This record gives sequence, C-alpha cells and structure tokens, in this order.
Amino acid sequence: MTFSLASQLLGAAGSVDYGETFEGLMESTGFLNLDWGNVVMIVIACFFLFLAIKFKFEPLLLVGIAFGMLLSNIPGPISDWIYHPELWVGDEVASSGVVDYAKVLNEGGLIDILYIGVKTSVYPCLIFLGVGAMTDFEPLLSNPKSLILGAAAQFGIYVAFFLAVCFGFTGPEAASIGIVGGADGPTAIWLTKALAPDLLAAIAIAAYSYMALIPVIQPPIMRLMTTKKERAIVMKPTRKVTKAEKILFPIIIIIATCLFLPSVAPLLGCLMLGNLLRECGVTARLSDTAQNALMNIVTICLSVSVGATAHYTTFLTTKTLLIVVLGLVAFAFATVGGLGIGKLLCWLTKGKINPLIGSAGVSAVPMAARVSNLEGLKAKPGNYLLMHAMGPNVAGVIGSAVAAGFFMAVFAPMV
Amino acid sequence: MGEITILDALVISAIGFAIVFVVLIILMCIVLLMGLAADKGHVVTSKFPGFGKKKKEDEDAAAEETVAEQPLAAGTCGELTLIRTEERDAAMIMAIVADATDTPLNQLRFKRIERLDDAEVEK
Repeated sequence: MTFSLASQLLGAAGSVDYGETFEGLMESTGFLNLDWGNVVMIVIACFFLFLAIKFKFEPLLLVGIAFGMLLSNIPGPISDWIYHPELWVGDEVASSGVVDYAKVLNEGGLIDILYIGVKTSVYPCLIFLGVGAMTDFEPLLSNPKSLILGAAAQFGIYVAFFLAVCFGFTGPEAASIGIVGGADGPTAIWLTKALAPDLLAAIAIAAYSYMALIPVIQPPIMRLMTTKKERAIVMKPTRKVTKAEKILFPIIIIIATCLFLPSVAPLLGCLMLGNLLRECGVTARLSDTAQNALMNIVTICLSVSVGATAHYTTFLTTKTLLIVVLGLVAFAFATVGGLGIGKLLCWLTKGKINPLIGSAGVSAVPMAARVSNLEGLKAKPGNYLLMHAMGPNVAGVIGSAVAAGFFMAVFAPMV
Repeated sequence: MGEITILDALVISAIGFAIVFVVLIILMCIVLLMGLAADKGHVVTSKFPGFGKKKKEDEDAAAEETVAEQPLAAGTCGELTLIRTEERDAAMIMAIVADATDTPLNQLRFKRIERLDDAEVEK
C-alpha cells in the first residue's frame, strides 16, 4: 500500500517505478529468504573461524574453508553472485556425467570460477608441488624401513572404507571417506572431487579438522599400545645421505610408482617435481616460489572454494555426521596400524626401533612426527625422535597417494 | 551407481592394503639399493685413502684460511667448528639445546658439533 502510494507520487515525475524497485529490493534481502539451514551453517562457519583463530586449528586452511562456507550460506540471491551447485552436481550434470565449462564461465559466480581448479585437480596437485618443495626426504632415505611404517599407517583408510560400505555408502563414496584416514588434505580432495563431489565439503572439513586434532587423537592410542620401556628406546643417528641420492630419489620414485599405478601420476608427479626443484640445486627461485607464493595463492583458492561447496542443502545431512564419525575411526586405525608394525619392527630389530615413530606414518606432515617426538620425550627426557619420525611421516604422504591412486583406478570407471 | 557388497568391500580393502605395501616395499628396495651404491663409493674412498682425499684436504684447508681471514662479527661468541655436520642440522641442535636447557640461544656458546659414526656412538 505504502509502496504503491510512493510509486504513484514519484512515478508522476519520472519513468522509474519506485514501488516495484523497493519491493524488489526488500524481496532480495537475506531476511526474507532466511531458512533454518542458513542459520545453522552460519553458526557452524563462525565456530570453525573461532577454532582456527583462537585455537590455531589448521588456520591456513580452516579460515578460508569457514569463510567460503559463510559466503555460500548467506540467505538471499547472494548465491547468484557466488556459487551455483547445480552447475557441478545438478541433475543435468549427473545424467550427462560432464560439466559444461562454457556454462560455468558464462553463468558462474566467483566461487564457480575458482572451483574449476578443484574440479580439474589443479589445486591439489599444485599444493603437492609446494609440499614436495618443502619436504626433506633425507630421514626416509637414511632409514628406508620408514616406508613400511608409512604403508602400515594406511590401515585406517581401508577400515573406514569397509565400515562406510557397511553403513550403506556406495563404493566411490566409501573410498572418498576412507581416504580421510590418510591424513592428507590434497589427496582427500583430489580423490573426492572425482568419486563423490557432493561429499567434498564434508570430507575436506573432516580431514583438516582431524589433522589439527592429531595431538589429541594419537597420544592415548600410543600410550595404550606401547609400554613405557618401548617409548623410551633411544634410536641411533641415521646415516648421512649424499646429494646424488637426494636428486635421484624423486626421479626414480616417480618412474617406479607410475609404472605400477599410473593413476597416481598427477599427485606424486607434482610431489616429486617439487622435491626435485628443491634438491637439484639449480632451481632455487622455482623452489622458493613453489614453497611460498604459489602455495599460498593456491591455498586461498582451494580453501575458499571447498568451503563454499558446504551449502546447507547438501551439508546438513546424516551423511555428514557419518563422515565425521568414520573420519575419526580412520585416523584412530591409521595410528593403530603404524604402531602395530612399529612394534613388530622393534621386536625384529631387538629394540633398535622405537615403535612410536610408526604412528607418524599417518602423513599430516609434520604434526604426527612432532607428536611422536613429544611422547618419546615424555617417556625419557632427551629422547628426540623427530628426525626418525619424519621418515615414516613423509613415507605416509607417498602411501596415502598410492592408496588414493588404487581407489581411483578401481572406482573411477563406476562414476 | 557404484554400489558394492560388504564382501566386495572386504576384498577391495585387502587388495588395496596389499598393493600399498607392495609398492612401498619396492620403493624401499630401490632406496636401499641407492644407499648401497652410495656406500660403495664411500668404501672405495676409505680403502684407497689417497683417492680424492688430498683434494678434499686442500679444499678444507683453503676454506679454513678463508674463514680465518674474515673478521668476527660484532657481539659474536667466537667460532663454531662443524665436523661432518651441515649448518642446518647444527642450527637445529643448537635450538634443541636452548629449548632443553631453557637458556636463550644468545647466552649459550657452542664450540664444536661433530657427527659420530655408529661405532663411535657405541663406544
């Protein structure tokens, strides 16, 4: 009534219908489009921001993820400018199995454009390039047995995969959930975007949250599975690794791994390229860029776009709750697997290997190695295990990439 | 699409875990071989002490001379000798000592950091 009166009064002077304009403005505000799901997601996003800023829970990623989540859940037609889920996981895409990138570029919002990097695997691979440039493989090269511990800690992936199938998830979905146990964010994103894109946000958030919670999750399991005498074992210094070994390692590993499991080439290829840039000694500038500038730029794009996929219509489901629970199971069993083989190696070497370094096989570089070091120090002051635990830790990165490559080879044809 | 039975899941889990082990054990063998090749080179130089040693000694002496010629920086505690230890490892050791003794690094003085062989550690 008020609008139409104002419209008549003002309309006489010009051609603009102010009444309709104001009505349109009112209807487009978030207040008139508010849904309970929006409110819940905004609260969850703010809670994640609080955890990241106050308690430093993986802040480099969680701040971006939580902010992306906040952006895409503000009610109203803001989503027209930000993110369109139907372009990625809508019925049209599901039936054809192909994303129409021309449509994405024409009709997409900011996050849609950024999300292309996730969908095409560019971001996870570039993150691995940076991780490779930051990783020193010397602890692994000086103690190759670390690779066995890195393999053992992938146990959690398969336990969670099996349980997810028991809970009614499809094979590709279960594989994406299981990979959370690899404690490797880029690998989890790389696999999930290919096998179960609708679960991407829940899986990414579960993976990064549990990685931040490793100092809480692992120590009770470590104390439960090892005796104080075992935890106090002091390991001998490892041998010195030559420069030639460090340069040859990424080249030989990528050839050997890709011959066995070609599907792992994008991830491991970038990891090893980054490491070669670091070790070869003639590409210091490229190594520096991969470690810092590139890594930071990709982290921003990846975290915001993954967070924005957590729209309440797809995120607030029982599936998300199950993923959170199964993710915890995956982490716990990964720790159990690493510790179990660590104990076996300790027995086989007559007490020369401290089983605590086995739990570092769950990737999460370098958090898991730090936890092993801390538990070693608690058992015996001066028992620094950090360098010994870094071996299984970086082996875990390779192990989880191999596990993801296996799942990709098995389930990609089914999607 | 992609539904699998519990039995399938069990079989896939077992095969997947086995593949991860096989691939990483193969990589372990490759790394071991690389290490053996590097050690062989080390054995050659230890069996023939003159091989390559003279040149290295000359290089070390030249490096020491260069270091001795340089004036010490203001506020320095003096020189630190590193033997078979990289600067990065030395920095880490110094940081650990400072942390373990709860003493600021600028109040500690390190004279020599030497990497010991296994036999020397056992002694």
